[in-house]
Amino acid sequence: MRLVRFLLALAAASLAHIVGSHLVPGFVMAVDFFLVVVVFHALDGNTLTGLVAGLVVGLVQDSLTGSLYGLHGFADTIVGYLTALLAQRVVFQRASGVMLAFVAAALVQQLVLIGLVLVFFADPELPPLGWIAARAASAALLGIMVWLAGAQWRTRYDGWRRSRAARLHFR
Amino acid sequence: MSERRTRLLLVLVLAGQLVFLTQQAPEAASGGTPLERAGVRALAPVARAVDAGFESAAGVRGRLRRRADLERENLALREEVERLRIEALRRHELEEEARRLAGALDYARRGVERLHLVDVVYIDHASWLRTLVVYGGRTVLRVDQPLVASSGLIGRVVLVSGPYAKVQLVTDRAAAVGAMLERSRRQGVVRGDGQGGLEMDFVPLQAEVAVGEKVVTAGIDGVYPRGLAVGTVVAVEPGSELFHRIRLAPAVDFGRLGEAYALERAPVPAPLREASADAPR
Repeated sequence: MRLVRFLLALAAASLAHIVGSHLVPGFVMAVDFFLVVVVFHALDGNTLTGLVAGLVVGLVQDSLTGSLYGLHGFADTIVGYLTALLAQRVVFQRASGVMLAFVAAALVQQLVLIGLVLVFFADPELPPLGWIAARAASAALLGIMVWLAGAQWRTRYDGWRRSRAARLHFR
Repeated sequence: MSERRTRLLLVLVLAGQLVFLTQQAPEAASGGTPLERAGVRALAPVARAVDAGFESAAGVRGRLRRRADLERENLALREEVERLRIEALRRHELEEEARRLAGALDYARRGVERLHLVDVVYIDHASWLRTLVVYGGRTVLRVDQPLVASSGLIGRVVLVSGPYAKVQLVTDRAAAVGAMLERSRRQGVVRGDGQGGLEMDFVPLQAEVAVGEKVVTAGIDGVYPRGLAVGTVVAVEPGSELFHRIRLAPAVDFGRLGEAYALERAPVPAPLREASADAPR
């Protein structure tokens, strides 16, 4: 079930990424659906699942970006692991905490990517600071939307299960 | 799995990825890894379906346009066809004349290129990791094949996966094109400037460069044939002690790219190939 949910989220992120880039130039610079999948999955699991989710999602994202293949794979592996590690130590009860986690994840991802291109290219092109800020803000916004939607769905599901159990009579 | 083992796995995965990246780094356009080809093969059909969906939506919108608009457009197109016909006739005469003169001079003409239409299914021209994915259909695309639009050079194929190919745009910082100023024939190297524009390097300060001058491929890099429009000079600044710093606007508007043409260069004739193989080195 968890794997299916992850694969569905990855497919939805890929589709949203492609549609967004079709509709708005610069969309890909400002919004990263793949990062939302990594962070959300890592927040909900352990460090191993965070690591694997980051690796898989990053490599899928690399298929749709230029430059060396594996840049996002590397960055998202770190992001997935660190987010899961954080989730094991901190209990997120407020939306602001989740938002902060998404912002931090976006910043870490960009920092790792910048570090990688500085290592691998003699005269690299770096992302403008404004776009990094936009990406962090959009990650926070998207993250909180997904988190709230998930929480609401869980509440409804639990309510449905409880009412269903109450209606069952065993003889 | 214990936390200690997970940490060890993380280190191993990261180390493996670093090795993977290092192996690609010396030749970023070596045709890609099998993993990347599989990724493109999986995602490019989705991009193609999305592209087709948008095109059919645009088609429906177009059909709903008012009749008067269509009539006006039809008239304008007729006028353009007439103008292009006259231009084609004039060009045909010039081509004939050039052929006659070339024959008289016994001039070895460069190979004639064939164009294959390819469909642009995904483009990210604005971000710093810009890329383009095209669908070639039955056309067999190959690595290093140049891609052009009607207005000029787009870039070159860096990865082929089935009918899909990933293209390095000419505006990429890592791309380099041997180019020349159309008027003075001064040669230099054109690269992306990191902001969606282009820069031309290695043009000496003695060379006269005017704003508005066209820059075309020089045919010296072994990838792009000579004479493809690359861009137009928009600014000339003093660069280093020896060279100008020339800024160019790309000839192609990447935001409006719907289709492209893959250039198939005619193979070098056998006698020439043999002669070059026999030549003393």
